[in-house]
Amino acid sequence: MEHGSYSDPSKSTFSFGDEDHTFANSVRFSLNQDAIYADEALSLLLSYSPRVSFCGYSIPHPSDNRVNIRVQTTGDPAREVLNDACQDLMLMCQHVRSTFDKAVSDFKKGKTRKGNKDMNVD
Amino acid sequence: MEGVSYARMPRVKIRELKDDYAKFELRDTDASIANALRRVMIAEVPTIAIDLVEIEVNSSVLNDEFIAHRLGLIPLTSERAMSMRFSRDCDACDGDGQCEFCSVEFHLRVKCMTDQTLDVSSKDLYSSDHSVVPVDFSDPSNHESSDNRGIIIVKLRRGQELRLRAIARKGIGKDHAKWSPAATVTFMYEPEIHINEDLMETLTLEEKREWVDSSPTRVFEIDPVTQQCSLLNYGFGYALFSAFIGNAIVNSVHNSKLLSLSSSRIISRTNSKEWCLTFIVMVVDAEAYTYDDEVLKKAEAMGKPGLVEIIARQDSFIFTVESTGAIKASQLVLNAIEILKQKLDAVRLSEDTVEADDQFGELGAHMRGG
Repeated sequence: MEHGSYSDPSKSTFSFGDEDHTFANSVRFSLNQDAIYADEALSLLLSYSPRVSFCGYSIPHPSDNRVNIRVQTTGDPAREVLNDACQDLMLMCQHVRSTFDKAVSDFKKGKTRKGNKDMNVD
Repeated sequence: MEGVSYARMPRVKIRELKDDYAKFELRDTDASIANALRRVMIAEVPTIAIDLVEIEVNSSVLNDEFIAHRLGLIPLTSERAMSMRFSRDCDACDGDGQCEFCSVEFHLRVKCMTDQTLDVSSKDLYSSDHSVVPVDFSDPSNHESSDNRGIIIVKLRRGQELRLRAIARKGIGKDHAKWSPAATVTFMYEPEIHINEDLMETLTLEEKREWVDSSPTRVFEIDPVTQQCSLLNYGFGYALFSAFIGNAIVNSVHNSKLLSLSSSRIISRTNSKEWCLTFIVMVVDAEAYTYDDEVLKKAEAMGKPGLVEIIARQDSFIFTVESTGAIKASQLVLNAIEILKQKLDAVRLSEDTVEADDQFGELGAHMRGG
């Protein structure tokens, strides 16, 4: 559920039911990757085009299963920026998954190779 | 995606991997992601556990709900869980949630006939689906261990009987801890330890030993190191030193004479080559450091405050995952990542209703920080 204003789509609060710190903190981190920094040196980078001026989350009451995420952007609709942040996070999850798969197979290969080496020594 | 351009993608390296235990490193990511992974592993990876128990006969010493509670806590092999449906979402059955797609049926029929106490264990639970069975904890390589009896549910005396039918369903740890597949999941920041070598030199061997021993876990160790590299110079003959700390036993091969032994240096001369040994403090296991500041306090107490510098790297984590046996540890991590992706997907694709601020008045103003 998005609480915003029809006239200014760049600032709104998103209220999620059935969510908690697990989801909100990681989305906040992902939004922060896109945020404005006060660092002037960074602002000279060509790739620096931040869209988020403020992002944060709060849990109104610990007994209610609800989390509010506040997003304020530099002009783009807040909903789009949030969607893109979720998309980035999904890509990162996919990357972690494939990296983990590869690490597991590397580990297993390393183990069998080591086992064979021991057999040769014997 | 602007975020991706200057966000480094995380890296994973596995340290240890067993069926129910995994230790791995996760680098170049933030604590919020590591914590999200940990929380999902504990609370939101689905497993299968007994949820509904119909008791026909129970003449044991434990009452019905007691036994039903214990049955729920038995871990069942849940490889099927990710592809199963939740009972409440199942449309194949009439809504009572007992069809073959969303549930697994178990039965238990035991009666004690002998004078000896009969242990009713998880091995007596018979499943309708051979892929979902109570987890077998026996070590396959260890045959001489006492017969693995499974998890004991209740003990029966002569004449006591237990007959029941149980339905197991898919669930997540958030609903009830019996559905949590993780025994423990922890992560720690990777420590970076820098020893100030110059300051370390000013300590005597006894002071070094005292400082190394002040750490409750074995992080540092004292090692003898030869400073001259001509150890391997065969032309002059070589001496092999192995010095044991505290005893300073020196074994040497070929001509060498022990000239003098002073507190931390052993000087010996052989064939006109001079050797000298000093004891240096090395980091033997950085990850054994538990972020207690004992070594820092000890260094200050000895009057050498800058002796060691320990930094917790904010983007590097060491995960330790122990599973209950319901899901393999590596599979648990993969499922957790999958579930996290599903949550994000659900949010991304949901059709949100936009509430205009006039509808909320005060609430809207409060949300906007007004």
